[in-house]
Amino acid sequence: MEDRIPDTPLFDRSRQRRGYRLNKMAMGLVDPANRDAFRADEEAYLDRFGLSAEEKQAVRTRNWQEMVRLGGNVFYILKISAISPARMTEIGAHQAGMDHESFLRDRLGKKPAGSQ
Amino acid sequence: MATLIGGLGSSHVPSIGAAMDKGLTQTDDWKPFFDGIGPGRDWVAANRPDVAVVVFNDHGNSFFLDKVPTFAIGCAERYDPIDEGWGPRAIPSFEGHADLGWHVVDRMVENRFDPMIVQEIEVDHGLQVPMELFFGKPETAWPVRVVPVFVNVIQYPIPLPSRCYELGQVLRRAIESFPGDERVVVIGTGGLSHQLQGARAGFTNPEADREFLRDIAANPGRLAALSREDYVRLFGSEGAELMMWLVMRGAMDPEVVVKHSHYYVPASMTGAGMLVLENRAA
Repeated sequence: MEDRIPDTPLFDRSRQRRGYRLNKMAMGLVDPANRDAFRADEEAYLDRFGLSAEEKQAVRTRNWQEMVRLGGNVFYILKISAISPARMTEIGAHQAGMDHESFLRDRLGKKPAGSQ
Repeated sequence: MATLIGGLGSSHVPSIGAAMDKGLTQTDDWKPFFDGIGPGRDWVAANRPDVAVVVFNDHGNSFFLDKVPTFAIGCAERYDPIDEGWGPRAIPSFEGHADLGWHVVDRMVENRFDPMIVQEIEVDHGLQVPMELFFGKPETAWPVRVVPVFVNVIQYPIPLPSRCYELGQVLRRAIESFPGDERVVVIGTGGLSHQLQGARAGFTNPEADREFLRDIAANPGRLAALSREDYVRLFGSEGAELMMWLVMRGAMDPEVVVKHSHYYVPASMTGAGMLVLENRAA
């Protein structure tokens, strides 16, 4: 899939259709009972939504870049970070292929940690 | 008839709400942003609106991809804050102005906008954070009633920026034809530049953001004429939500006075802004 704007995945028809189940799984986590189910048996929770092996692998490894490649949209998959804490900047850094500190410094203009 | 007393603009970055929840507003990361919101709060306190029409997008909380309205109007008496996955935040529910919501729907349809009508829905940080920025976080009740205007800026096709501007013009006529004596503000929310997805994640564009804050007051026609792709290119894939400020701007007179403008980057990963506009004749 080629992006019209470089490195910028628009949530267009093909992406949202491809990612529908993945996003639906993540959307389910707004329900506390589903959060408990995810924590208790992640594999079983993912299976409820019919995720493919590739999709499950991306979720299990918290591979944000891959989840987005598979049609995940950050607004949905971010809910996984309520269970496995990850800051938005860490999720951003992962997609940018940068370590967190470099991402904060080079993309967001932050001073290095410890100097604040 | 109800009166439109001002057009407000604000980011709705969720971490702004989290910073307020955790008492982080005076940290190095957050102080420069929160230092600039005082004049916005002062304006609201001095001008005493009764109703806030809040233009925002849901972020995969109240709407899933199974049903995606391009425009939806809240016609409920009450809106609870939603659990976005971390548990609901400790803020009061919002009292709705259902009659004004229905009136807006009537005027929209007569003017060839056909919104979804919503009578039961919870609201996420897209509405919460701007309300907290302008009104503070109340203990028990918000000082204004709200009419939520939901805009789909997540799933393509998202609306055209020019369409958002035209919606604002209809919204103005709806407010000013509402039988009541309410003092109304319209709040355009979102942005400014940010990108949360893809290898360009972390993109911000302070120069474009500052131009936007200038032109949304002085030259909104330029911003309404940009394409959706222009918004994504200039402001990032999520920064494209800035087009929702055009709904607010369309509700105002062609000539406006800027009462307050504030910008700081980054708030988390986002260029954050606040704006207060009055009609020149007001």
